[in-house]
Amino acid sequence: MNCQQLLQVLLDYVSRELVVEQCETVEIHIRSCERCSILVTSYKHTVRIAKALPKCGQLPPTLEARLRQAMAAHLKDDAGTTQG
Amino acid sequence: MVAPIPEQLTPELVFREYAPRIYQIARRMLGNDADAEDVTQDVLLQVVRKLDTFRGQSQLGTWLHRVTVNAALAHRQKRANRQKYETSENIDELATVEGPTGPVNRWNELPEEPVLAAEQAEIIEQAIGTLPEPFRDVYILADVEGLANSEIGEMLGLSLPAVKSRLHRARLRMRDALAPHFEGGLAS
Repeated sequence: MNCQQLLQVLLDYVSRELVVEQCETVEIHIRSCERCSILVTSYKHTVRIAKALPKCGQLPPTLEARLRQAMAAHLKDDAGTTQG
Repeated sequence: MVAPIPEQLTPELVFREYAPRIYQIARRMLGNDADAEDVTQDVLLQVVRKLDTFRGQSQLGTWLHRVTVNAALAHRQKRANRQKYETSENIDELATVEGPTGPVNRWNELPEEPVLAAEQAEIIEQAIGTLPEPFRDVYILADVEGLANSEIGEMLGLSLPAVKSRLHRARLRMRDALAPHFEGGLAS
């Protein structure tokens, strides 16, 4: 395996989707290539960092007010339709 | 042990639990607050309208991702502000992926579940904002939201190899963008 070949299977390697033999081939290359070893580690860190990002953001107060207003109007319309 | 009674889905609960999440996904995908606000309102009203059809929060969560992504994509098209990704490279082919061309340095050690400082989170958000849209969409859904590649393919109308190729390219770009901030030392 060379560096370009490693790059092509890196995503599957990190997701543990490679078969055992392929996985071993990657690891043999990593052990002998410091550049690829660093690339693989930093690639894994990149994945881990993204997972640590917050899933929810604070709603801006103006948006919160706007959404509440829109929801209230919608529910009112809905109630009117049901009654009518 | 008795299973906890699921909280009933009400408009208020949906607003509290999901509006911030919808807003965050839309903001990351669209890259600006005004568009994200429009999409959040659009999605929230769709959810409230269909609230009776959901059996619980787990079902709603999956559906929300799909609706938010669709609304964001539609909004982007409507605005006709789609950033064209013009390149000779075939972005859906893994075989043509290129790695970093310059020197690569070791990164600082990272715990299994890192806690990001506000400043670090901001750097990452900025880097996401610089990704071309085809890469950004897949990256947000896969690595930030944690959706399966097959699910992303369905949402975006892409084959599985195309999703993987875009995700791989996005990660490599993110790696390059974040490297100066997370590197701890030169390789020997």
